Amino acid sequence: MSSHHNDKATFLERLIFNNRPAVIVICLLVSIFLFWQATLIRPSTSFEKMIPLQHPFIEKMMEHRNDLANLGNTVRISVEAKDGDIFSKEYMETLRQINDEVFYISGVDRSGLKSLWSPSVRWTEVTEEGFAGGEVIPQSYNGSPESLDQLRNNVLKSGQVGRLVANDFKSSIVDIPLLESYPDPQDQGKLLALDYQKFSHELEDKIRTKFQEQNPNVQIHIVGFAKKVGDLIDGLIMVVLFFGIAFVITLVLLLWFTNCLRSTVAVLITTLVAVVWQLGLMHFFGFGLDPYSMLVPFLIFAIGISHGVQKINGIALQSSEADNALTAARRTFRQLFLPGMIAILADAVGFITLLIIDIGVIRELAIGASIGVAVIVFTNLILLPVAISYVGISKRAIAKSKKDANRDHPFWRLLSNFASPKVAPISIALALVAFGGGLWYSQNLKIGDLDQGAPELRPDSRYNKDNNFIINNYSTSSDVLVVMVKTKAEGCSRYEAMAPIDQLMWKMQNTEGVQSAISLVTVSKQMIKGMNEGNLKWETLSRNPDVLNNSIARADGLYNNNCSLAPVLVFLNDHKAETLDRAVHAVQEFAKENNKDGLEFILAAGNAGIEAATNEVIKEAELTILILVYLCVATMCMITFRSWAATLCIVLPLVLTSVLGNALMAFMGIGVKVATLPVVALGVGIGVDYGIYIYSRLESFLRAGLPLQEAYYQTLKSTGKAVLFTGLCLAIGVCTWIFSAIKFQADMGLMLTFMLLWNMFGALWLLPALARFLIKPEKLAGQKGNSLFAH
Amino acid sequence: MSEPVMGVGFCRPLASRKVAVLATALSLLGVVALSTAAQAATEAAEPAVFAIESPRAEKGLMIDVVHAGKRLVAVGDRGHILYSDDQGATWVQAKVPTRQLLTAVFFIDEQHGWAVGHDAKILASTDAGATWTEQFKDLSREAPLLDVLFNDPNHGFAVGAYGALIETTDAGKTWTDVSDRLDNEDQYHLNAIAQVKDAGLFIVGEQGSMFRSSDEGQTWEKLEGPYEGSLFGVIGTAQPKTLLAYGLRGNLFRSTDFGDTWEPVALKADRGALEFGLSGATLLDDGTLVVVGNGGSVVVSHDDGLTFNVFNRPDRISLSAVTAAGNGDLILVGQGGVRVAEPTGAERKKQ
Repeated sequence: MSSHHNDKATFLERLIFNNRPAVIVICLLVSIFLFWQATLIRPSTSFEKMIPLQHPFIEKMMEHRNDLANLGNTVRISVEAKDGDIFSKEYMETLRQINDEVFYISGVDRSGLKSLWSPSVRWTEVTEEGFAGGEVIPQSYNGSPESLDQLRNNVLKSGQVGRLVANDFKSSIVDIPLLESYPDPQDQGKLLALDYQKFSHELEDKIRTKFQEQNPNVQIHIVGFAKKVGDLIDGLIMVVLFFGIAFVITLVLLLWFTNCLRSTVAVLITTLVAVVWQLGLMHFFGFGLDPYSMLVPFLIFAIGISHGVQKINGIALQSSEADNALTAARRTFRQLFLPGMIAILADAVGFITLLIIDIGVIRELAIGASIGVAVIVFTNLILLPVAISYVGISKRAIAKSKKDANRDHPFWRLLSNFASPKVAPISIALALVAFGGGLWYSQNLKIGDLDQGAPELRPDSRYNKDNNFIINNYSTSSDVLVVMVKTKAEGCSRYEAMAPIDQLMWKMQNTEGVQSAISLVTVSKQMIKGMNEGNLKWETLSRNPDVLNNSIARADGLYNNNCSLAPVLVFLNDHKAETLDRAVHAVQEFAKENNKDGLEFILAAGNAGIEAATNEVIKEAELTILILVYLCVATMCMITFRSWAATLCIVLPLVLTSVLGNALMAFMGIGVKVATLPVVALGVGIGVDYGIYIYSRLESFLRAGLPLQEAYYQTLKSTGKAVLFTGLCLAIGVCTWIFSAIKFQADMGLMLTFMLLWNMFGALWLLPALARFLIKPEKLAGQKGNSLFAH
Repeated sequence: MSEPVMGVGFCRPLASRKVAVLATALSLLGVVALSTAAQAATEAAEPAVFAIESPRAEKGLMIDVVHAGKRLVAVGDRGHILYSDDQGATWVQAKVPTRQLLTAVFFIDEQHGWAVGHDAKILASTDAGATWTEQFKDLSREAPLLDVLFNDPNHGFAVGAYGALIETTDAGKTWTDVSDRLDNEDQYHLNAIAQVKDAGLFIVGEQGSMFRSSDEGQTWEKLEGPYEGSLFGVIGTAQPKTLLAYGLRGNLFRSTDFGDTWEPVALKADRGALEFGLSGATLLDDGTLVVVGNGGSVVVSHDDGLTFNVFNRPDRISLSAVTAAGNGDLILVGQGGVRVAEPTGAERKKQ
């Protein structure tokens, strides 16, 4: 078995090193092509990719998408008067200009545009309170104190307080429905898709900046899905800067590690080639860069560097014995290709398990990362040794590595005590305590997003500040769960449907965490009351079909064209998992009791509905991912080392890391969500590298007959530095994300940094302690062994 | 909040009233024609359902509030009846055999009371409002009863939409429709009924209609009122033969001769005349009159209704009825449920 592998490696080695120019040329050509592809890649965030499309909630939402169209995509601009209130001539003038300016921004659904100035308010606004019967800003308005007084009265009577006008009269809203696609101004026949980033920038330039300068007394707040996505894309672009920082830090560390500029440049360039290939291939296969897959280049860069370091380390060691660079490179290739492949396979396996999560962005992350690590096989395992065989390694570096091989290392000597019979039991006991403590504390771990506002962005981002402003000053919530009520055609206005809808709304309002609920019933009751002169004694559903039919005539968007679907909008306090669970549970309970032929209560749409679905998917996937990734990693270890003991030595430290990672998340208030779930798989997949590198060396020294502690010392001496360095490289690659404007990237960065560093620590600390108990050195000594690394 | 008074039905200028009457008549025809069929269907389908106990019941729409002795009893949406024995600080939900909106409640003594509402339901309680039984309903009307009043423990009236006048002489065991005692050809809604000291019973309704009876409701006289808009309520003051009638757009009238002559009472709000509809009123023990209405309006008179102080609560939430809490405070009900207020109507700060 082992000789077979050796032959294969030799064949591969011959193939590559006998055709070095060809390898270089092929890589160059591929690089040129993929670089061109990579330049074409664009940030893209598709709504559908971020949600679990197979979840029944989402399937139902998609099924009824057209009927729910009016509920969707709006942006709201709140114009705040810093001094005084909105009833001033200057304020109203600015508001009018903003209203006019917005009207001409591409993508705005002009017919639905609403502010105090738009005539449409008068006709379409139906509120809980009644009808707006007159024009809020009358034709006779001229900005005089009298007309401002009249305006104030009209606003009071309009029912717009809390909606278009803030509860404290210090701001008012311009409500902007958007079109997902709109006719090209140049060519009316062509439809243009709404470009969220461009739209968001236009709002910034033409509205926020312009009018805040023009009238220093106003402050503009903008919220809405389009604005949020625009901000997200802007945040993505900042990530490029992080890449630069990670690059520079890595460069410095590499120089320190290798003592050799030539090999440093070689490693960096081949790793950059890997990143370019990965990006190019992503575009080639039709993917864009979304906020999640954006992070893959970082990972690839870090993994590439760490493999490059192993190579350089090896070549430097070999160079001290070999006569030229080519021979050193060949020998290193022979020695390291296989463990490198195993480590990369382990990475890939970790990534691929992510495919089981039914969310587009995660799948793309998995695919992107898998492509990336596959690319590393070519660039860092093949191209790098070939490149080094040309440029060689500086004499100084070779001399140093020669010296290192022979001198004593007090630091590694100290660390080797982890394998000693005295320290090992203490280590195991400590690990058990940490494991138990971690398990206990991670009970506090929550599913879903825990912060107020838009979870994608930081709580102190401008968007979330704007959002808070609007939540605090208007009777509104940004977390909406939509229940779809399906009836027979023309059935939604019948008493038999409306009465249960009314009951559902009341049940929801009595559910903890629900602020209010709105549906066509709300409008109907107001209308019926209105038809009865505003008398509260009539504010209820009528059993008369004609009265009911008339009463919903103005409930635009609260039922579909043929009156077979009516959404119930349930406004929630927040989007914490418990709140969502309670609301969803209440609806399901109600549906179970009340669903019948011709009347169905269906979950769910609205952002809270989507989050509820996402949470369910995450909750289900969490354990599966964990089991799967450990199963895969353990299998990899079994195949590689053919030993239960070895597998346990490598995997158990990872388990401790996972448990402590969960506890850390609970401590930091980070929920298990779309962004943090991949971290488990990535952390374990990449983390196993250390164990594989260390154990493979340890095993070979044990076979040579060394006692455990001495064998571990030798292991550390030869590979410890590379492992330490690898851990640092990976951590640096991801820790810059912590400063990302995008909350989930920051969370991912924090968690990955922790997992990668702690995995390294675990491998150095726990692996030898476990080996002390699980491995019998005397059995291994002198044995030929059957692991893949046996030579 | 907003003021529904500006609603469609209500902004119509005086000149168009005739059209409105016609419209009402037409809609009535429609109602009558459809009602027979609907009745059979709904009655068969609906078993006796009780109001659901809900933690937020006291925040839901509440329409009327009265005293049963010291106890406060309030009725409202979804068959909610709440009672409080601590001046409105805490409320308990009663067991009520309906889920329809209840529009009025009346207690003749500490124990015996009646509530009326949609589906023409009449409910009765003999235990100070803790439990209720159904005495009457008529789904075929597709119309609510709007007020209820008892002369004595046995004899009472309920009034309602489309001119309904229903009488009992046996404490509600049987109820009889006596609408034809009124000269109400257009079947105007009868919005409220009240007792006037030393005079008799008084009914007000839609389009300014007024009826009075000096013989405990056996015969009724139609009056030409001072106002053509709808009147939502009527209340007798502490003085003999004196009463207030009130309705749309802050219209409030006072009569000292059981309705023979009327004087409009001006209600001055911060920014001109009060334009909110008035819906409920109470007479406090000291003779103070409190009238409430839409737009959070609370108007108070300490001179038997000659002049009023007007207060609009900042939340502008529509109010439907008012009564004394029993400790000087007021209990207000309406949209957003029951709440305790200072004697002026301002929000009572919780201690």
